[in-house]
Amino acid sequence: MSTKAEVLSKLAIRTEVVKPKRIVFVIRPEDLRKVFEELIKTFGPESFYLSTIVGVDLPAENKMRLDYYVHFIPEGETVVIRTFIDRSNPVIDSIIDIVPGALAGECETFDLLGIVFRGNPYLKRGFFVPVDLVQKGIHPLRKDSGV
Amino acid sequence: MAITKIVEVPLVIAEIPIGPQHPALHEPVMLKVYADGEEVVKVEVNTGYNHRGIEKLCEKNTYYKDLFIIGRVCGICNTVHTNCYVRALEYLLGLEPSPRAKYLRVLAMELERVHSHMLVNATMAEVIGFESLFMQIMLDREKVMKAKEILTGARVMADYMIVGGVRRDIDDAKKERIKDLLLKLRPRVEYYKKVFEEDETIVKRLVNVGRLKPVDVTLHSLVGPIARASDIRTDVRAEDKYDAYGEIPFNVVTRKEGDSWARMMVRWDEVLESINISLYILDHLPSDGNAVPDEKRLPRIFPAGDSYARAEAPRGELTYYVMSDGKSMNPYRVKIRTPSFNNIINSAFMYIGHSLADVPVILTSLDPCISCMERVTVVDLKNNTRYRVTVRELASGKV
Repeated sequence: MSTKAEVLSKLAIRTEVVKPKRIVFVIRPEDLRKVFEELIKTFGPESFYLSTIVGVDLPAENKMRLDYYVHFIPEGETVVIRTFIDRSNPVIDSIIDIVPGALAGECETFDLLGIVFRGNPYLKRGFFVPVDLVQKGIHPLRKDSGV
Repeated sequence: MAITKIVEVPLVIAEIPIGPQHPALHEPVMLKVYADGEEVVKVEVNTGYNHRGIEKLCEKNTYYKDLFIIGRVCGICNTVHTNCYVRALEYLLGLEPSPRAKYLRVLAMELERVHSHMLVNATMAEVIGFESLFMQIMLDREKVMKAKEILTGARVMADYMIVGGVRRDIDDAKKERIKDLLLKLRPRVEYYKKVFEEDETIVKRLVNVGRLKPVDVTLHSLVGPIARASDIRTDVRAEDKYDAYGEIPFNVVTRKEGDSWARMMVRWDEVLESINISLYILDHLPSDGNAVPDEKRLPRIFPAGDSYARAEAPRGELTYYVMSDGKSMNPYRVKIRTPSFNNIINSAFMYIGHSLADVPVILTSLDPCISCMERVTVVDLKNNTRYRVTVRELASGKV
């Protein structure tokens, strides 16, 4: 049986580390769905869960970073699947049909950072952000939002 | 007389708002329930009644001021929130607290788990109409609140964790007082566990309500006692062995039933485990090293990098992501993902097919902590037509 590292390395451009010792696999945004499909196919849906989606605005590089923290239950280990998308057009494929647990994280990231998850029908502004900011079209966690 | 005409009465789906203020709910959340007669056909979770924007606030304040902001994310689990944030900072700095500080941290967090689990079990008793049991449990919960006050200086809002250690140490007299309170509490918890096992009303209201299959737990990212009640063996304390958990013996409680009753029973067993952990700490507290470091010596600017800390909060896996750019005194990004964020927003599928009276039972069995969840977002299943959502459809993402 192949290990996590083998499966993820196939699609990774490079690896990094988030402290303490959490391995990061940097992938291309178009491979995101493939990664999760591969994880379910290889390890089964009961062996891991999607713990957190962290979006970070990086205006200096004109990019946005998305980290998917995936927790593998038998090993008790968290790995990070990291991808960068263009800041001027922040769109990425939704994985909600593969992993329904992405629902909360995707909706939150859309509302706060304005990253559009293509294929997620539940995205809506103003769940979290107050009405006045929604009317101005502001995503508060962007560094230039002025909030 | 033969039937000559059939009059078809159209079924009306009733939309019933439960909350945000409702006697059956102990925190402000709104469940928009669509019911066909008594049967629930769809549930929307509407939140936004408790939002404060804490992640943005953290970016605007220094690392050390954030400690106090983060303590206020949630009242009931404030030490575990600050512990998780403090450890994320310690990972960035490469700092290790003294063994005594680590044991004291675990003690504070376990006392918090005891009172949090007792609160939700008491709330469950209240929700199903067993008010005398609610009051009895709350009365005995005062013992552990007192123990926490002796240890941290406050019943609830402790602000106990600081980078590199804890804010105050304990002496032998305090140790004995805490031990005395815990030894008095343990037989009471054993008694309540028996009540939840044997009482006919409780068993009738909880057994087979909101049953969760293991595959639904992992696909919907449900964490903590909810996962463990469906036989998913995941506990951050055993996995990450943070602070002193690697040195303290304890069991990870799991059950196979997966219903609301199993979730409450997992909590009772965890209370007993936590009391044992606390008593072990009081007997084996190391005396080497200073538990209370000098905060003035800590660096104001953190090295560039990012860290990701996990902790087992009473409600499940709590995660903090902290990113430093190495230049500013404020963090570049703080991302908080609380257990209730996953457990409440992702669990709308659990109510389908149950009767209206079961809705508060299922919600309470998930142990909602709305102030935790609502730094964040809400989900609305935007669909005005009548629709029966099955777990299978939801799991396949077609809804």
